[in-house]
Amino acid sequence: MLQLVVAGLTVGSGYALVALGIHIILRATRVINFAQGEFVVLGGLLAYSVTNVLHANVWLGLVVATAGGFAIGLVYERFVLRPAARGGELAVTIVSIGCVYVLLYGHSLVWGSLPLPLPYFSGGEADVVWRAGGVQIAAQQLWVLGFLGLALGALAFFFEGTTYGKAIRASANSPVGAALVGIDVDRARSVSVAIAIALAAFGGVIVGPITLVGGAAGVGIAIKGFVGAVIGGLDSPVGCAVGGLLVGVVEKLLEGRLGYGASDPIVYGLLIVALLVRPQGLFGSRRAIRD
Amino acid sequence: MSALLDVASLDAGYAGLGIVSDVSLEVGAGELVAVLGPNGAGKSTLLRAISGIEATRTGGSVRFEGRDIGGMRADRIAKLGLVHVPEGRQLFTELTVDDNIRLGAFGRPRAFVERALGEAYERFPQLEARRTSTAFALSGGEQQMLAIARALASEPKLLMLDEPSTGLAPRIVAAIFETIADLRKRGTSVLLVEQNAYLTLRVADRAYVLEHGRIVLSGPATELANDARVRAIYLGGSSEE
Ligand SMILES: Nc1ncnc2c1ncn2[C@@H]1O[C@H](COP(=O)(O)OP(=O)(O)OP(=O)(O)O)[C@@H](O)[C@H]1O
Ligand SMILES: [Mg+2]
Repeated sequence: MLQLVVAGLTVGSGYALVALGIHIILRATRVINFAQGEFVVLGGLLAYSVTNVLHANVWLGLVVATAGGFAIGLVYERFVLRPAARGGELAVTIVSIGCVYVLLYGHSLVWGSLPLPLPYFSGGEADVVWRAGGVQIAAQQLWVLGFLGLALGALAFFFEGTTYGKAIRASANSPVGAALVGIDVDRARSVSVAIAIALAAFGGVIVGPITLVGGAAGVGIAIKGFVGAVIGGLDSPVGCAVGGLLVGVVEKLLEGRLGYGASDPIVYGLLIVALLVRPQGLFGSRRAIRD
Repeated sequence: MSALLDVASLDAGYAGLGIVSDVSLEVGAGELVAVLGPNGAGKSTLLRAISGIEATRTGGSVRFEGRDIGGMRADRIAKLGLVHVPEGRQLFTELTVDDNIRLGAFGRPRAFVERALGEAYERFPQLEARRTSTAFALSGGEQQMLAIARALASEPKLLMLDEPSTGLAPRIVAAIFETIADLRKRGTSVLLVEQNAYLTLRVADRAYVLEHGRIVLSGPATELANDARVRAIYLGGSSEE
């Protein structure tokens, strides 16, 4: 049981980062970016190229994937989301779904369609494993949780404690007000999207050694991240993180009981239950639904 | 020496819908200039076309300190020192009073921002008591004070105020007008759009009257206050005296 919870928190960290990315892009652009899962996959694949093709270490892979995610996010906002926005919010949402398939196909052209391995952060092909009171904990699981904590701390610091972070929140809150105090609102929007994509790519690298990277995993990751965001509260960053972790834990517990594959329908069912019982999410405010 | 703000034969509106036509208007350095006019005359549209938000300019020119700012992005215009407090205020309702004021001085060095914050609370002590509340939680009067404080934080050369007294209690209206008169005294230029013609003509140097998107009357405030037409329409028999 505890074993499954640990495993759940690990995959859930990936969902939490996706959920946060969805939250950030939703705030900045008012659309749900369903391509978020593909950027998780892309991050993992970039790190794979750095480690297995260029034979550099996994830390460089992590940096390259995260920075690459940021740069790709700038391009994605400027050349995909922004032009699509002229057609309205629904158009952007549909375009983001279209991007899922473009990226899926693009990934398979470059990297093939089979899942690929990433080296464990503690080095090598076999991970270090500790046993404590009947529970096994792998070093990579600790790395994942540690890096999730680091990412959450960095985000909180940026959005709550820095002027530019506040300017981004202000731009989402009142774009007109932000422009009138001299904030370049378009740029704030670009940077928001870039941060969200960087987070997804980062998540792909830290969870990658456990889940493998590539293949068709992105769609499931995006949907589970979205379910996590809805359960936790789309307008609450804390809610998104908690919701993502929760989905991971539920998924692993169900898998442990009912076998592989049985968990997905139930996790998606959870989405419907959450929407019926508490549409604003665990940490969301009612005001958010009305907007 | 040309005027600080020089609007010449401006046509402006929204997506093919012309609202303001052939408007020429000037604000000199240190001047307090008012625009009066009935609801729907295009006063807000005029300010929006100048500051570059929502409305678009279709003809004529807008110059600020001699520089052509027609078609410039709103954030660039604000950075030049032309700051607009719009109708509806557009505060950052989810952020604190402190952060709203600080963002008013966005892009300035830290020392400048902190000094601006101190000055804002000196001007509006009532806001200091609410500094950690969100702007959303403020009363209407406090929100208007915050909107003005945020705009002043960047030490603008020209402040454009769109109906700052609308919907506020008489005591608050008096306080807002005192603030405006004080700005004038300190040398900040102001372009003021108002419904309250009586108080406006008492603080303004000059005024323009806008009807159906056109300037129909202009002159020194004292002259307009005695104009028969203005008295009849905007001062409504002047019962306030
Ligand atoms: N965003 C907009 N899009 C289209 N038309 C608009 C928009 N804003 C205002 N209008 C129209 O422009 C005209 C002038 O409106 P404006 O708000 O400039 O008038 P105003 O003089 O400020 O009036 P009030 O005293 O009521 O504030 C009105 O007919 C209004 O319906
Ligand atoms: Mg108006």
